[in-house]
Amino acid sequence: MKAGKRLGGVLLAAVLAIGAAGCGNSENNEKSAAPTGGESSKAPENTSSPTKKVKITYSMWGSAEEGNTTQAVADKFNASQDRIEVEVMAIPWENYMTKLNTLATANQLPDTGMLREDGVIQWSSQGMLNDVGSMYEGSDSKPLDSLAYKYQGKTVAYAAANEILLLYYNKDMFDKAGVPYPPSALDQAWTWDEFVAAAKKLTIDKNGKHPGEDGFDSQSIVQYGASVENLPWQLETWAISNGGGFYNNDGTEVRIGENASVEAIQKVADLYLKDHVAPLSVGQTDDGIQRTVIAGTVAMATNGQWNVGTSLNTAKEQGLNYGVAVLPYMNEKVTLNTGGANVVFSQTKHPEEAMEWLKWYTSEENNWGLISSGIWMPVLEKWYTDETLTRKWVENPNFPPYDEYKSAVVDYAQSSAARPASWFYTNHTTEFNTLLGSILGDVWTGKTTAADAISKNLEALKAAHSGSQ
Amino acid sequence: METIGKPLKRRSRIHSSEQRVAYICLIPAFLGLIFLTYAPLVGVLGISLTNWTGLKSPEFVGFDNYVKLFTTDPYIKDSIIATIYFAFLSVAGSMIYSLFIAMLLNRKIPARGFFRAVFYVPFVLPAVAIYVGWSWLYEANFGFFNYLLSEVGLNKILFIADSRYVVPSLSLIAVWLAGNLIVIFLAGLQNVPSVYHEAAEMDGANGWKRFRHITLPCMTPIIFYNLLMSLIANLQVVTPALALTNGGPGNSSRFMTYLMYDQAFVNYKLGYACATTFIIFAILAAFTAVLFKTSNRWIFSEGGDDK
Repeated sequence: MKAGKRLGGVLLAAVLAIGAAGCGNSENNEKSAAPTGGESSKAPENTSSPTKKVKITYSMWGSAEEGNTTQAVADKFNASQDRIEVEVMAIPWENYMTKLNTLATANQLPDTGMLREDGVIQWSSQGMLNDVGSMYEGSDSKPLDSLAYKYQGKTVAYAAANEILLLYYNKDMFDKAGVPYPPSALDQAWTWDEFVAAAKKLTIDKNGKHPGEDGFDSQSIVQYGASVENLPWQLETWAISNGGGFYNNDGTEVRIGENASVEAIQKVADLYLKDHVAPLSVGQTDDGIQRTVIAGTVAMATNGQWNVGTSLNTAKEQGLNYGVAVLPYMNEKVTLNTGGANVVFSQTKHPEEAMEWLKWYTSEENNWGLISSGIWMPVLEKWYTDETLTRKWVENPNFPPYDEYKSAVVDYAQSSAARPASWFYTNHTTEFNTLLGSILGDVWTGKTTAADAISKNLEALKAAHSGSQ
Repeated sequence: METIGKPLKRRSRIHSSEQRVAYICLIPAFLGLIFLTYAPLVGVLGISLTNWTGLKSPEFVGFDNYVKLFTTDPYIKDSIIATIYFAFLSVAGSMIYSLFIAMLLNRKIPARGFFRAVFYVPFVLPAVAIYVGWSWLYEANFGFFNYLLSEVGLNKILFIADSRYVVPSLSLIAVWLAGNLIVIFLAGLQNVPSVYHEAAEMDGANGWKRFRHITLPCMTPIIFYNLLMSLIANLQVVTPALALTNGGPGNSSRFMTYLMYDQAFVNYKLGYACATTFIIFAILAAFTAVLFKTSNRWIFSEGGDDK
C-alpha cells in the first residue's frame, strides 16, 4: 500500500507538473502582454528593440545556497554582455534527476544544465539533448578529448569537471615498513605483482607477521596493505588493463565474459581472499577512502581524484601524511576519467545562447572554489599543459606536494592511460553496473568465482546493456 | 446487523439528520482516500501497462512488464525470497522479544519508568543514524562485534558483507527497533484481569501455566494487531537496504520496495516499477488475507459467541 502511495505520488507530481506547464505558459503570455498595461502606451516598440535579452535557465544540483553562489557567477555573465540573461535553478542532488524527468514530461526543461554521468547517453538516445560539438570551435583551448560525451558520433555534452582514478597511500606506513613509495610517474608504474608484493610487506597481523610468513594469522590483521575499490564502474579499469573490458570501444558489444576481464576481477577479489592484503569490501558503498586510508587501517587504496577535496584535505589537516601515485597495471596502463556533464536540452529555443553561457561558465575561473579545494579538476587542456596555470591550480595547501600531484594526477590525466568511463559512449550503464554489482556479491567473499558468477549471468548482463532487461 | 438495522429505520428524523451530518463529516476522509489512495492505485495499474520512462510519452505495452518480471528479470525472485525471509525473522523475533520485554516491564521492578523509556528509545531514533551505528558494529574487518570475536579467539563473521548472514543481521536490528510493539503489549497486559491470575494462583497454577492459560489467551487480540502491523511494516522494508547494504551482497538484501525504488528512481523505468509495485501489493494483500482468515481460529474473544 505504501509503495502504491509513493508511486501514486509520482503520478500526482507528474499531473501537477503538467498543470504547472499550463501555468507556465499563461505566465509567459502575461509577460509578453504586460507592456501593454504600463509604459506601452508611450513606446510599444520597446518590446521588440534589440536590447531585450534572451532569458535562459541553467539547472544545477546543490542547495539553495550553492544556487545563490552560482547565480552570483551568472550575474557577472549577465552584466558582461547585453544579449543573454541567465537564471540559475538549484535542485538538491537526491531529487535532481527525478525533477528533470518530471520537467521533461511537462515540456518545461531548463535550457541548459548539469546531468548525471550515466544519464547523458540515455537522454541523448531519447532525443532530449542537443549536439554541442560546435561549442569550442575557434577557441584557443578545448576540453581534454576524453571529456566529450559521444552519441552516434556526435558530441552531446562536455564534462563539467574532470576526475581520474589514482592510488592514494599513507606515507607514514610506508616509512615505518621501509617500503619505497608507489611511483607517481606513469613510466615507472608498478605491475600488479609488484603492487601485491608491496602490499604484503605492509600487511601486519597482531604478532607483526606478514602474509606468506610462518604463523601469519589472516584472522587477526591489524593493518592491511592495499584496497582496490570494487564499485562496479571502477572495476572496468582492471578489466581494460588486463586486455579485456566491459564493452568494446564503441560500446556496442559486451566483453565482460572474456577471460581477461574475468581474470582481472578475480585478481581484485583475491587481494582479500588469497593474498590477504586487503580488507573485505562488497563494492556497494561509495566511501572507500574514508574506510581505508582515512580510517588508518590500510596503507594504499585506489579511488577518484575528488577525494583530495572531499575528504583527504580535512584528514591532512588532522595529520594524515598521504601521497598520490599512478595505478598499478596488469597488462596495459589504464585509468578511467569521468565527470558530470553540462548539456543543452533539445527543448530549448535558444541553443546558441545556452552554449555561449556554458562555454563562459565552464571556464575554470568560475568554478575556482571547487577546483582549488581539490574536488574538481579543470576540463580545459591548457591547465594541464601550461605550467603557470598548473601551478596556480595545484600549489595550495589542499593538495599533496606539487611534483607528486603534477606527475600522478595532472600528467596522468592527459596521458594515453586515461580512458573515458563507459558512460561517455554507451547507454544503460546504470542497469549494467547494478546487475554486475549484484552478481559479484558472492565473489568478494569467495563463495563463488568471478568466472562462474559472470558466465552464469552473461546473458542477463547483455540484456541489461541492450536495455531490454 | 439486520436485527439492529430495522428498528433504526423507524427512528426519528433526528436520527436521519445525524446520519446526514455523519456523511458530510466523512466527505474529507473519502476525498482523501479516493484521490490520495485509490486514484493513484488505479494510476499505478495504468502506468504498469506502459513503457513510461518519464522522458518520452508512455506507450501502451499490455502485460509486457509483468511477463518480463516473471521471465527474464534477474532480481525479482531473489527479491521476493529476501523480503519474505526478512519479514518472517523480523516478525517472529520482534513478537517474541517485545512480548517478553513487555512482561518484564509489567512487573513491579525498580526504575520501571526508566526501563520502559530505554526499550522505547530505539523506535524514535532517526533511522539513518541507527543504521550507521549498526554498520560500525557489523563491519567485517574492524567492526566492534568482530573485535569481540577476535578477542576471544574466534574467527570473524562477515555479518552484512556475507550473503548468508545479511538478512538475519538486519532482522536483529528490526527486532531491536520494535519498541512500539512493546508499548502496545504493555497496554494489553495491563488489561488482563488480575482476578484470573489470583484465582489460578489459589488453585496452585505455576507461572508458566498462568502465562499459557490466562495471559496468552487474553492477549490474542493484541497479538493479532501487533502481528498484522509488524508483518505489513516488515514486508515493506526498505531503509536498511538504502542506508546500509544497497541491496547486497548479491541480491541478498534487495528487498521488494528497494527493487521498486531502484527501477523507478535510479533507472527511471516507471512503467516497469509500477508493475513491480502491483506485485508487492498482491503479496501484501495475500499475507494479510491469510492472517485474517486464520485469525478466528486462535483469537480468544471474551464474549465467546464468535466461534
